[in-house]
Amino acid sequence: MKIKKIRADAQALLFLLPFLLVYGLFTVWPMIKGVEMTFYKWTLIKKMDFIGLDHYRQVLRDREVWEALWHSAIFVVLTTPTMVALSISLALIANRKSLLQKFYRSLFFIPSVLSVAVASYLGLFVFQPYTGLVNSILHLVRLLPEGAEIFWLTEKSLAWIVITLVTLWWTVGFNFILHLSAIQEIPDEIYEAARLDGASDNQIFWKITLPYLAPITRIITMLQIIASFKVFMQIYIITGGGPLDQTRPIIQLIYETGFRKNDLGYAATMSYLLFVILLVLSALQYWMNNRKGAGM
Amino acid sequence: MKWLYRIVALLMSFLFAAPLVWMLVVSVKEEGMKVITVLDWFKPPYSLAVYKEVLTGTKLVAWIGNSLLVAVLVMVLTVAVAALAGFALSKIPFRYRTLTFFVVLSGLLIPGEATIIPLYQVAKEMGLLNSYQGLIIPALASPVAVIVLKSFFDGIPNDLLESVQIDGGGTWRIFSRIMLPLTRPAMASMAILTFIGSWNNFLWPFLSITDDNLFTLPMGIPTLMSQYSEDYVKPMVINAVASIPVIILFVAFERQIVKGISMSGIKG
Repeated sequence: MKIKKIRADAQALLFLLPFLLVYGLFTVWPMIKGVEMTFYKWTLIKKMDFIGLDHYRQVLRDREVWEALWHSAIFVVLTTPTMVALSISLALIANRKSLLQKFYRSLFFIPSVLSVAVASYLGLFVFQPYTGLVNSILHLVRLLPEGAEIFWLTEKSLAWIVITLVTLWWTVGFNFILHLSAIQEIPDEIYEAARLDGASDNQIFWKITLPYLAPITRIITMLQIIASFKVFMQIYIITGGGPLDQTRPIIQLIYETGFRKNDLGYAATMSYLLFVILLVLSALQYWMNNRKGAGM
Repeated sequence: MKWLYRIVALLMSFLFAAPLVWMLVVSVKEEGMKVITVLDWFKPPYSLAVYKEVLTGTKLVAWIGNSLLVAVLVMVLTVAVAALAGFALSKIPFRYRTLTFFVVLSGLLIPGEATIIPLYQVAKEMGLLNSYQGLIIPALASPVAVIVLKSFFDGIPNDLLESVQIDGGGTWRIFSRIMLPLTRPAMASMAILTFIGSWNNFLWPFLSITDDNLFTLPMGIPTLMSQYSEDYVKPMVINAVASIPVIILFVAFERQIVKGISMSGIKG
């Protein structure tokens, strides 16, 4: 019996070894190493002086850090509700029986397979003044008078709109598929019964479809919040964090601090601040998913 | 109501298709053309000259190759590593099983972005910067993949395994002859999601690679764009060349991709 137990242990270890090795070396070890880095002046080339808690004191008082966190938070607030609403709308469109049903499903998902660089540059060109797609269409239908131009990327609030639209277009596909498959799991009998009782399309949507979508929507919302907080590439390409750093998210600041200002120690400290924030968000998600009646 | 529905559906289709259609149309124009209204983009002459220039005059094709190579290896190895670990956690009754599972589970809470700076330092010390190994190996430990695959192994009844054991089959036999074939759809879906994730991965290659022969597509594209911001034709050709392979892959695997995403949602 005992030999059998030891054999099981040895076998399990062999099966787990590749995972534990990579996980230990490239996730756990950097986590530990990172703590050490926050206590030192540490450049791209080498470890320098021990400075104790200086970085922690600095990060809490650093205006740039809180501004960057604020920008990431703005991005979360702009993209999360719009993402959920768009995703449900697209799922409703693609769920409707029609000749174009398959076409809709493919079309709404296709942007999601594009490389983030492609999606961002397409957005950048679509919103160029003079010859960009949006401005030229606005000119064509005379919504924008001749000689007038919208400079989408040089004004802060317009830049946020562009970033949000590109992000929605590029990433809604995954959530759309999740919503679509949740809609398709709603039993037909419920709809039939509602129609027999004379319910209108509107009532059916608010009283049946939406409540059925609540569990998956809750998951999507939380995952979306966490993922959006880590935004970097779209903003980096579309606005470069500008105008005047007014859209720069926290990941970009971490990158610039580490690799442009040659200060890995301080960049690591910022990463831990981000980590704590994400941890709180994840804990919140876990708590929400495990509440009574949350399902899934 | 029905009409409202159709109008919204058509409007959405237009918004989703327009950037892609525009990209393809502009990409087959000649450089230096005059554009006064949006309709000018759609008028001939058409030309594939810029495609030829981009395909032969830049490293774009090599970068697509790098991205594909990295994504395929990451996909195969991640699923293999996760399947082995998920199987052990699901079917081998070893000591510390619960503890090990919690260690894997807690990995879900560690975002890669938060450890990227120390990861750079660690990779540097191991000599993994500027190498294919450096792009691939750190990406292989995916706690999500382990947990999803474990839950699929959990769904296979233990009676089935016991009958094989009585026939004298070892653990490896059970894994390779029974578990893998029975969970093939789950593996395929996980593989595709991993592929898309790797294909789009930007931050790590961006930090760890400086040699432009090793660039992946997302980091290569910006270096080409900065040189051509005046004319749209070349940027659009670059976008098109970078997108057409994945769009073809998508069309070929659409069913599995959709299934894979629905599954990941259910497992939450």
